[in-house]
Amino acid sequence: MSDPSSINGGAIVAMVGKDCVAIACDMRLGMQALTVSNDFPKIYQYNNTFIGLAGLATDVLTLSEVFRYKVNMYNLREERDIEPETFANLVSSTLYEKRFGPYFVGPIVAGINSKTGKPYICGFDLIGCINFAKDFVVGGTTSHQLFGMCESLWEPDLEPEDLFETISQALMNAQDRDAMSGAGGLVYIITKDKIVKRLLKTRQD
Amino acid sequence: MDSIVNRFTARPEFDEAVLSEEEIRDCMKPQSVPTLSLPPISQPTAFLRAHTDDASNPDARIKIAHGTTTLAFRFQGGIVVAVDSRATAGDWIASQTVKKVIEINPYMLGTMAGGAADCQFWETWLGIQCRLHELREKSRISVAAASKILSNLVYGYKGMGLSMGTMICGYTKSEPAIFYVDSDGTRLKGDLFCVGSGQTFAYGVLDSGYKWDLTVEEALALGKRSILAATHRDAYSGGSINLYHVEEKGWTYHGNHNVGTTFWETKEAEGSFNNVPTEITANV
Amino acid sequence: MYAEHFSEPATSHVASAPIEHQFYPYASNGGTILAIAGADYALLAGDTRHITGYSINTRFRPSIHTLENLGGPERAIVVAANGFSADGDALVRRLAQRAEWYTYNHNKPLSVSACARLVQTMLYGKRTFPYYVHTIVAGLDESGRGEVYSFDPVGSYEREQCRAGGSAASLLMPFLDNQVNKKNQYDAATGLPQVATDLPLEETLKLVKDAFSSVTERHIHVGDYLEIKIVTKEGVKVEYFPLKRD
Repeated sequence: MSDPSSINGGAIVAMVGKDCVAIACDMRLGMQALTVSNDFPKIYQYNNTFIGLAGLATDVLTLSEVFRYKVNMYNLREERDIEPETFANLVSSTLYEKRFGPYFVGPIVAGINSKTGKPYICGFDLIGCINFAKDFVVGGTTSHQLFGMCESLWEPDLEPEDLFETISQALMNAQDRDAMSGAGGLVYIITKDKIVKRLLKTRQD
Repeated sequence: MDSIVNRFTARPEFDEAVLSEEEIRDCMKPQSVPTLSLPPISQPTAFLRAHTDDASNPDARIKIAHGTTTLAFRFQGGIVVAVDSRATAGDWIASQTVKKVIEINPYMLGTMAGGAADCQFWETWLGIQCRLHELREKSRISVAAASKILSNLVYGYKGMGLSMGTMICGYTKSEPAIFYVDSDGTRLKGDLFCVGSGQTFAYGVLDSGYKWDLTVEEALALGKRSILAATHRDAYSGGSINLYHVEEKGWTYHGNHNVGTTFWETKEAEGSFNNVPTEITANV
Repeated sequence: MYAEHFSEPATSHVASAPIEHQFYPYASNGGTILAIAGADYALLAGDTRHITGYSINTRFRPSIHTLENLGGPERAIVVAANGFSADGDALVRRLAQRAEWYTYNHNKPLSVSACARLVQTMLYGKRTFPYYVHTIVAGLDESGRGEVYSFDPVGSYEREQCRAGGSAASLLMPFLDNQVNKKNQYDAATGLPQVATDLPLEETLKLVKDAFSSVTERHIHVGDYLEIKIVTKEGVKVEYFPLKRD
């Protein structure tokens, strides 16, 4: 129980649809059994790329600032937005820099490449090994439950509205079987020219 | 009927014409306690701790359901008992539909916190002992006596890893009584108890709204509201709320209330739980 | 006086207790089980893979047991004890014996609820040296309705609509909550939560096969074949369904 990556709890998931991607997280921040906050989203947006950070909350907040700084520097140097593929490599190298004293996080990245229009999602381990996926990636203390839900609900080429329904059901039913996550849900549906953000009204226990 | 009563009566004088030698020996036992098999090693308690107790050893292979909020309090109109219904094994929610109130008989209730099997098994067993007492003595057992049977039993197993925190609630004659009994052997009489991982949260709400003169309706609402608060803040409590009211004529069940819907109804009605966002906030 | 008859040990270490070398009587043999109760059936399914560590001991070891009963084939009870298979087998064998004795002693069928209480006393009888198993018992009640009872290793039990046990229970259970008990599903017209209704057998079978196919993809303990035992008023029917073998 003193495992750093399961002290605060959290669930994150990303899915690919037809010309769209979705990324979702729970809203709980806990200290072991005690729920401290119900308003703790774990998804951060940098340009048109999104990252979900589940794990030790202090590292989640630290890394979100590190990435903000690095993406801003990238924008200034390159004078263009960062693409999801590039950002994934930035995440990977940032995590590997701390190979022998890692951040206790399991990030996932989602976005749409602005040049090709292709959906992109990937996951990482805590030292930056990238897991490229064509279908979905999951992370956080709820990962087992999310794997079960996603593997049985997901299908290829879902339209944005259907993808929203799928990822929401996957998230809600998975977090309802994990004591360490829940207390609401936040879902982003990303298409080439629109980002829709919805708060899920879930059970609060 | 008397022959059944006699079979279970622990008195030294027996009619040897009626009972066989074996039956007499059977009856001489103070109570029929089932035998538990022990691991064939010199320190069975250490073995049990290493394999089953996830409080002292989180990697224990055999996960035993834990985590709970239960409460009971005495008031002008009797006793209110309220409990949640979640069972967890580590962070995994094993069930959201556990019955944590054990109906010992139509006049007595026991609550369940700690090891699910320990509570379920020994409180059903307590039900048997209470019935046997009734047959022997031709009168209902007092809550004090019933709770003492349980506390003596668990004390006999002290150090063997039993885990239970329970409240025995009922009436003795026309007097409502609550006894807190746990697996350390503690046995306390009192007006108000909360037990389990969410007990502090429940105490917070219960203490602020409790008074002896509560109406039955108010008392039930307070019990329910206290558990709701605990399910909200304690990760190991949740599911639904089971409500009971105990009176002299026996207990009555006041329903199963799903926390999923009850929470939002309560928030709406009271304007409470303002820590929970209902729309996307600046933070998000 | 008799001292000369005894020789002193070379080193005079006298142990106060017998010396023990790591008493570790448990192992995990993987696999997953799943039970669902319907209006006129009960079903217990499990994969047939048997493992220790990363090795597959056999691809086909059926683990759902049928307890024959008095009162005709529809009173049969199906039971599975998943986890450490030696403990599971011992439990099921002893249960079968006790169930048989019950029918001789009482000359009536063993009801599923009575069987469940019997399993509790058997599991709790080893409270201090537990069977390392997750047990599920399923069958039909007197009126022909399906019932499922699930147990923790030391005998706490509950009647349920559906339950997954074993290695991949954490992957299966949220899916069952969603699809069988309609959790987090709302009626589009009224906006009210949907209530769980009994699923027809065909739909349940599809669900079970889908669930196991999905879990096979993501859990290395699960695969090879799916065994499904279905209790209806016609008796117990067995079905096998191939799963991925990787």
